Amino acid sequence: MELLQEINWAIIAPILVIQGILIVIALIDWIRADETNGPKWLWLIIILFVSTLGPILYFIFGRRQR
Amino acid sequence: MQWMTLFKKEMLENWRNKKWVWFPLVIILLSILDPISSYYMPQIIDSVGGLPDGTVLELPDYTPPEVVIMSLGQLSSLGVLVIVLMSMGTIAGERKSGVAELVLVKPVSYKNYVTAKWASLILLVWISLFLGLFVGWYYINILFGDLTFLHLLQITFFYGLWLTLVVTLVIFYNTWIKTPGLVAFLTIATIMIMSLITQVFGHFLDWSPNKLSNHIFESLMTDQASTDLIATGSVTIFISVLLLVASIYCFRIRSRV
Repeated sequence: MELLQEINWAIIAPILVIQGILIVIALIDWIRADETNGPKWLWLIIILFVSTLGPILYFIFGRRQR
Repeated sequence: MQWMTLFKKEMLENWRNKKWVWFPLVIILLSILDPISSYYMPQIIDSVGGLPDGTVLELPDYTPPEVVIMSLGQLSSLGVLVIVLMSMGTIAGERKSGVAELVLVKPVSYKNYVTAKWASLILLVWISLFLGLFVGWYYINILFGDLTFLHLLQITFFYGLWLTLVVTLVIFYNTWIKTPGLVAFLTIATIMIMSLITQVFGHFLDWSPNKLSNHIFESLMTDQASTDLIATGSVTIFISVLLLVASIYCFRIRSRV
C-alpha cells in the first residue's frame, strides 16, 4: 500500500485516460461496423482484453475499408 | 481547386475512419511513456523485487535532453511502425478495391491525387507529433527539469522531417505496389537498410536522415542548432521531395498499364 501512496496519481492518470478513450472509441466503431476483417466477436475480445494494443490493432487491422 | 477537393475528401475520410482520434492518442502515449517510466524506475524495481538484499542500484539521473531522446526512440520504433501500418493501404488499398479507378476515371490529375493523399497524412502526422511531444515536454518539465518551449519547437520540427520522410516512403511504395502488406514490409525494410548503411558508413554519412535524432540530441546539449542538424534536415527534405516527385511519375506509369 505504501507504494500506491508514493505514486503521484495525477501523473499516471493521463495514461489511463488515453487508454480509456482508445477503448471507448474502438468499441463505438466496433458496434457501428457491419463487418470486420475476421470474426467480429474476436475483435471485441481483443479490444477489451488486450490492454492498450488491442484498440490500436483493431483500428489498423480490424476495420474493413469501404 | 481540384487539389483542395481531393484534400478535403482525404481529411474527411481520415476523420471518418477515426485516424484523427486514435493516431494522436497513440503518439501522445508513446511520447509520455518513457518520461514517466524512467521517473518511476526506482519504484518499479522495488515492486517487481527479485533483487537480493543489499543490492545497490545506481540509477542515473536523467537530464531533460536524455529523456527527450528516449521518447524519440519510442517514436522511431513503435511510432514509425504505427505510421507505416496506418498508411500502407492509402493508395494500394484504393486500387485493390477499385476506388482509385473510380476517382481517376474523372479528369483528376495524378499529381493532385498523390499529393493530396500525401498532404493529408503529413498534416495528421505533424499535428500528432506536436501534440505528443508537447505533452511529453510538459511531463519533462515537471519531472526532470527545464526545457524551453523553443527547444520543443526545434525538436518537433527536425523530428517531423524524419517522419515526413517515412510517410513519403510509404506513399512512394504505395504508388507502384498494390498489396498493402508488401508496402509496409518494403518501407520497414528500406528504413532498416538505411539505418544499417548509416551505421556501417557512419563516417561518410554524417548527414544521413537516420542521424536526425543524434543531431537533435547534440544540439540540445550544446543549446544551439548545429550546422550538422540543419544540414541533415535539408538532406531529409531533399530526399522527401525527390521521393514525392518519383512517386507521382511512378503512379502515372503504373496507372496507364
